[in-house]
Amino acid sequence: MDMKRRSFLKLGAAAGAASALDLKFFHYVGEAAASPGTEGESITRSTCSPNCTGACGFNIHVTDGRITTIIQSADYPEESYNPRGCLRGLSMMNLVYGKDRVKYPLIRTGPPGSGEFRKASWEEALDYAAGNLKKIMDKYGPEAVGLTVQVPGTGYVHKGAFVRLAGLAHWSIHHGYDQNGDLPMFWPMTFGVQTEELESLEWPNARYTMVFGSNIIQTRLPDAHHLIEAKKNGKLVVFDPDFCSTSAKADEWVPLKPDSDAAMGLGLAKVIIDRKLYDEDFLKDFTDMPILVRKDNGKRLRATEVKGLADEADNWNVPQYRSLFVIHNDDGPVILNPENLQPTNARLDGEYTLELVDGGTVEVSTVFSQLKDMLKEYTPEKVAALTDVKAEQIERIAVEAATNSPVHVIYGASNYQWYNGDLKGRALSLLPVLTGSIGQSGGGMSTLAGQYRIRFNLKEWWFPPGGKLNWVPYLYFLQGKGKRYPKKGIKAMVGGWGNPFDQHNMANQLRDRTASGDIEFVVTFDFSMTTSCQWSDVVFPATSWYENYELTATILHPYLQLQQPAIEPMFESRTALYVARELAKRLNSDFEKFFYPGLDEDQASQKIIERLLETGGYETKGITLEMLKKGPVRLHAHVPGDRQIPFYEQIHERVPFPPRSYPPPLKATARFLRSGRIEFYKDEDLFLEVGEQLPVQKETFSETEYKQDPEARQKYKLRFVTKNSLYRVHSTHSNNVWLNELQGNKPKVFLNEADARERNIKTGELIEIYNNRGKTKAYAIIDPGCRKGTTILEEGWWAKYLQNESYNSLTMPWIKPLHEIYFVPGIWSPTTAWNECLVDVRRVSA
Amino acid sequence: MSRSKKIGFLVSGLIMLAGLLAWGFQFKEGLVLTNMRNSYTWGLYVSGLAFFVGNAAGGLVLSSLIYLFGVKSLKPFAKLGALTAFANVTAAMFSILPDIGQPIRLYNMILHPQFRSPLVWDVLVLNLYAALSLIYLYILLLPDLKGPLKKIALKVDDPKAFSEKWARRLAPFSLVAAVGIHVITAWIFATQGARGWWNSAVLAPDFVAAAIASGTAVVFVVALLAYGLKEEFKEAYRTMAVIISVAYFVHIFFMYNDFLIHAWYGATEALETLSITFIDYAPAHAFEVLAPLVAVILLLNSKVRSSAGAMISSCLLLIAGIFTHRFLLMPGAFDKIPFTINPLGMQDTDWSLPIASGDYGSLVNTFVTEWHYFPSGVEMIIFSGVVAYACFLMILAVDRLPIVSEAKA
Amino acid sequence: MRRGMVIDLEKCIGCRSCVVACKQHNAQPAGNWWNRVFTPGSARHLTPPQKGEEYFLPVHCQHCQNAPCEKVCPVGATYRHTDGTILVDFERCIGCRYCMAACPYGVRQFNWEDPKKAMKKYGYQAGYSYGYPKDYRLDGRLVYTPVRPKGVVEKCNFCVHYLEKGLDPACVRACPGKARHVGDFDDPDSKVSKMIREKNGFTLLPEKGTRPNVYYLPPKRKEV
Ligand SMILES: Nc1nc2c(c(=O)[nH]1)N[C@H]1C(S)=C(S)[C@@H](COP(=O)(O)OP(=O)(O)OC[C@H]3O[C@@H](n4cnc5c(=O)[nH]c(N)nc54)[C@H](O)[C@@H]3O)O[C@H]1N2
Ligand SMILES: Nc1nc2c(c(=O)[nH]1)N[C@H]1C(S)=C(S)[C@@H](COP(=O)(O)OP(=O)(O)OC[C@H]3O[C@@H](n4cnc5c(=O)[nH]c(N)nc54)[C@H](O)[C@@H]3O)O[C@H]1N2
Ligand code: SF4
Ligand code: SF4
Ligand code: SF4
Ligand code: SF4
Ligand code: SF4
Ligand SMILES: [Mo]
Repeated sequence: MDMKRRSFLKLGAAAGAASALDLKFFHYVGEAAASPGTEGESITRSTCSPNCTGACGFNIHVTDGRITTIIQSADYPEESYNPRGCLRGLSMMNLVYGKDRVKYPLIRTGPPGSGEFRKASWEEALDYAAGNLKKIMDKYGPEAVGLTVQVPGTGYVHKGAFVRLAGLAHWSIHHGYDQNGDLPMFWPMTFGVQTEELESLEWPNARYTMVFGSNIIQTRLPDAHHLIEAKKNGKLVVFDPDFCSTSAKADEWVPLKPDSDAAMGLGLAKVIIDRKLYDEDFLKDFTDMPILVRKDNGKRLRATEVKGLADEADNWNVPQYRSLFVIHNDDGPVILNPENLQPTNARLDGEYTLELVDGGTVEVSTVFSQLKDMLKEYTPEKVAALTDVKAEQIERIAVEAATNSPVHVIYGASNYQWYNGDLKGRALSLLPVLTGSIGQSGGGMSTLAGQYRIRFNLKEWWFPPGGKLNWVPYLYFLQGKGKRYPKKGIKAMVGGWGNPFDQHNMANQLRDRTASGDIEFVVTFDFSMTTSCQWSDVVFPATSWYENYELTATILHPYLQLQQPAIEPMFESRTALYVARELAKRLNSDFEKFFYPGLDEDQASQKIIERLLETGGYETKGITLEMLKKGPVRLHAHVPGDRQIPFYEQIHERVPFPPRSYPPPLKATARFLRSGRIEFYKDEDLFLEVGEQLPVQKETFSETEYKQDPEARQKYKLRFVTKNSLYRVHSTHSNNVWLNELQGNKPKVFLNEADARERNIKTGELIEIYNNRGKTKAYAIIDPGCRKGTTILEEGWWAKYLQNESYNSLTMPWIKPLHEIYFVPGIWSPTTAWNECLVDVRRVSA
Repeated sequence: MSRSKKIGFLVSGLIMLAGLLAWGFQFKEGLVLTNMRNSYTWGLYVSGLAFFVGNAAGGLVLSSLIYLFGVKSLKPFAKLGALTAFANVTAAMFSILPDIGQPIRLYNMILHPQFRSPLVWDVLVLNLYAALSLIYLYILLLPDLKGPLKKIALKVDDPKAFSEKWARRLAPFSLVAAVGIHVITAWIFATQGARGWWNSAVLAPDFVAAAIASGTAVVFVVALLAYGLKEEFKEAYRTMAVIISVAYFVHIFFMYNDFLIHAWYGATEALETLSITFIDYAPAHAFEVLAPLVAVILLLNSKVRSSAGAMISSCLLLIAGIFTHRFLLMPGAFDKIPFTINPLGMQDTDWSLPIASGDYGSLVNTFVTEWHYFPSGVEMIIFSGVVAYACFLMILAVDRLPIVSEAKA
Repeated sequence: MRRGMVIDLEKCIGCRSCVVACKQHNAQPAGNWWNRVFTPGSARHLTPPQKGEEYFLPVHCQHCQNAPCEKVCPVGATYRHTDGTILVDFERCIGCRYCMAACPYGVRQFNWEDPKKAMKKYGYQAGYSYGYPKDYRLDGRLVYTPVRPKGVVEKCNFCVHYLEKGLDPACVRACPGKARHVGDFDDPDSKVSKMIREKNGFTLLPEKGTRPNVYYLPPKRKEV
């Protein structure tokens, strides 16, 4: 009796533990808070997910097969996330049912760009497209077909289907992250990852929030309230040359000189270091600050070079992608273990002379010493001159930040979309690092650009056995040269989820190349008749996110969500899975079997989602399609509560940097941080050559505009900032009738009063923006918030709203050589710098 | 029927018909055919209401003067007065009809009248006034209803005495009603705290004053057309000229009294509304003041009064001035967006919240902070139709009823 | 019960999501917008009127306790519901627009043409139209209809058609800034009453004496 009772208790406890574990594991599962509908109405929970990557859950109310209303589903388990959504998501019916909806497959009849098409059947259009692609593949090789797939993390199934097809067919492929200039190159350089960010729920936990050129109020709209809430227990400081809406919400706005963020970061860092306000242990254990650097050649000292350490080093067994560097502690030089972040007791500061194995000696000093040395140039006064911000203000902010950790630095796209954007990021990441804020709730560094961060292992669906992708940076495609750029060129563009004929550099040249036949064939898959569709040979009508199944994720919150069909596909639209399967079949009959040929699109999509979830790894463990159908489910992370706090494991479990960035294997990215730590010192030859082994401030435009055309200094006096509009997601919603109505139905260009006066321009007048590459037109607004010397055009207008002249005819795909040292698609790759662009403006005589 | 009457009859009839057709068109398409929009909700039609109501004053003021104050010289014009009163008060109602978005639903005024609404008061008093002026006309006509018209005559022993007695009895009521229509019409506007331009205690007396001026001028013109320049009416014309002049000066006094008070105090909003009149609509304002002034000066001159043409022109000038005055009732109220604030933290800023105009065009701005109104073609045709109706009615009445004949006798 | 709304201007990010939600859920025809958000002092929304100064102001019907629109309506088409909400009866309105002249906030909109025709101007495919799909009657009166008759007035109705389903107004459910709150102003302990008390709530154009049931909390507060 006793015995029985005890084992029963034990059993019960075990069962309890198991279910408790399960519960903990799935605590963060949302339930669709189905808003009660009216009679005859159906409600579907789906996800809005254009390229803003907000991934907001919506309930779609449908009557008689038509969407009547759309409202946030507000079903995230943390109340703070509800209601996620914005005006664009709320007016999505205008695109679903709008006048520019692509209804049928179209085949071009007029000259390229003429917009003359004929309606074709699916069979015919698919045959036509596959036939032409095949011809090009036969003639120039399969890599002459280039695929663009935008923001893959928002559509694992359908975007994956295209990538799968490209892999099978051995096409070339461009990565959207560097194509869009969203890739913040300081991340791989400093942290060895593609990109990281706090989930917005964590923002209010910061005690000091520093926003550098991120217009969160407009560009991270559903998350913006978390920024305002961060003011309650902390301070919000916005660094932006312009008085943008986010500046308006700040406790303090710092109107720094454009492109002077690196100087600012260095100036702030210097104050923190000079006043010894930094977190010493953090620097010793988690960064490369104690690593010894050779004074003679600027390289980090390898253990194998040092007498007394070389033998030991030979016996160490570390992965290929690691190096053994040397630090100095109280006992002398020792090898820094790159695979273990246990306390090093290293000396942060120091200059030493060490004996080398070859018998010679070498002078070395720590990275920290070198940094301090380098920072001598960045006195508050000097930085004040560089940034136009008062020295006292810089000092005060530095002290405030250092004494109020965790510090959260939000680093915006417009800020790093400069030629030297990487330097800014490297300099600014000193702030969370010096204050030991990395890996803390509410602390660290966030870049909130597009969503390229793949959240789990998707190999199973994206990369079929036997597949091969020729990754070509988009900028190489534009320039028509570069490593891996096919010898015979890229002759066909296949694209979906993007609008490169408006949205990317040299939009005019892309047109010219298409018109001249250099680009022989363009296939676009979209639900709206964009400028890119206008320039295509074949347009396939796509389903919107209320007409298909899809698995989506985002960087702003860690919820996995579904797109689910609320209505039947409009007109003859179909999913990308269908298009990919049909094209595949036509390219090679063996390919069909890779695309679930027996199942219809919806069945196949669901099947793929199930497979992705099963094989996704730790992040998707235990998550099922059924759970997702009910609502959002939090991805797992090695952080308590599955919170999205970057580097939590690295700091709290002392796991070496970097964590893996999907999809490449760890070894592809870990080599960026051979020390296994956060690295500020880069000793690849090219870094040394250009003097960027440590972050420094460099002059704007000197490597780009001024180099290309020394006269640009006089001719083009205005920097051209193309920031994101509240009313559009890039060019998506360009044609949204309500949103255009809300903006007076006209594209606007913003000017400082003085610049306008100089050019005799008044509000409301039609203005031409020009440089020697191109021009465009918009209506002037005199904006008191706009800094002198700046002109702002909210990007994303389709050319037809700009008198048929794309604003991206003005920008230029500059390539910074440092970005070519390694190549991992979308992680270390040449990236675009939209703001590195000079223009001038003039009144269009009426 | 005389030739000139025939022409007048035909022309006014055609314009009336055009107005009616235009209204039909507007009824079908909606008020989008007007140039009013959400920010400028009342225009020519409502100005028309105020104008015609004003014109309607003349008749009954005239008769009350005759019968209450014994201004005998005006007696011959009593019937004309009653007729113009009826014609104008009905024109006032016809003028407002096309302004109604759902005219068919007007029965709701009877089913669900809300007695708090000045508009309900106005509808009541306008109808009352119309009835009263018709009854008055009938009573005045009674002695002359002969021949075929005998059928409609009231059977009384001594029509003449009866007519005289009742005209006298009704006179006080007509005076009250005449003043009432103006006061209440003015209250429609003056009660509106949202529109500083109207929200004034002086608006009602000013309406009365302007009405006496224009109403009398209307009778003046009609009388001249009907009777011409006869020695026996000299005194009557002089009296009317004096009435008009006094009324005009009182009107100007009220108006500028109001302006002065607002301008002196200098509240931003008031200054802005004043600036609409004095700057944006400066020529119109000059006209509304100067045209009647010139008319008054002319009418007070006995030489001018020796020419029918000159008198008619002067009266028309005055009427045009008063019409302009009525038209200017709107811009001051609507050109300025009612929602105007001084934004928090901004000094000396006066900012108006844009209003959705209610009209969408793919190249125009829906949200407006100003709306420069000028009546559309349809509005003008409909309004002309109403004017034509009043003329038509009067010509018809003068032709068919013994309105003028008795005086000749 | 007095239904009221509190809009927190510190939390309002000027995103106009409420504007769009209102447009959509209340099937507003082309050119009509019941709800507006602008940047006070500036001719263009989201452009600061001057450097260092910017906030956003949402304005729709204030559901005044002393509502001139209600008082001027000759036929009682504009009337007050028991919870204080000012509604328009689409079947009774004669379209005189007196209420529009009377409203100090300029929130009332008129159907200048047949809304179906107006809607066509948006150029939708296959005659699409949006909005809560059913008529809604309160006390037998038509206070919401997806297809408005031509020539009637309309305005914010506090989303009366959602009330009985226990749903907050569309603009509240849509506000990603979490700036909008609804509740009972008669109850001193309600969330909204407390907010007004504790955070210096104010009303618009108090000098007009309309006593709105919409309160605003001032911007630039530390406590949010
Ligand atoms: N509404 C909306 N939201 C979006 C998108 C959209 O299209 N529409 N797109 C999404 C995508 S893909 C991206 S990449 C992000 C981009 O969003 P953000 O990162 O916010 O980028 P921007 O809006 O271009 O600009 C942000 C701010 O950077 C400032 N800035 C420019 N140059 C500098 C500089 O040198 N230093 C500093 N400190 N500031 C500078 C500009 O003045 C501007 O206010 O937005 C995402 N969210
Ligand atoms: N000058 C300048 N240029 C810029 C920028 C800048 O700041 N300045 N910003 C850059 C940045 S950061 C980015 S991210 C890019 C973005 O540029 P793009 O990635 O080209 O973004 P969009 O213009 O939104 O194009 C997305 C297209 O995908 C379609 N689409 C959306 N969802 C679906 C779907 O589910 N299925 C299918 N088939 N189609 C879909 C939409 O209709 C739309 O046409 O623009 C870049 N261009
Ligand atoms: S457009 Fe972006 S932010 Fe807006 S609802 Fe859609 S996903 Fe969310
Ligand atoms: S939705 Fe909310 S935050 Fe956005 S404008 Fe409206 S009230 Fe302000
Ligand atoms: S805001 Fe205007 S429409 Fe609303 S209740 Fe007040 S007066 Fe009436
Ligand atoms: S327009 Fe309609 S609601 Fe307004 S006052 Fe007239 S009848 Fe009443
Ligand atoms: S309560 Fe409803 S009707 Fe009023 S503004 Fe909000 S969404 Fe529009
Ligand atoms: Mo982006």
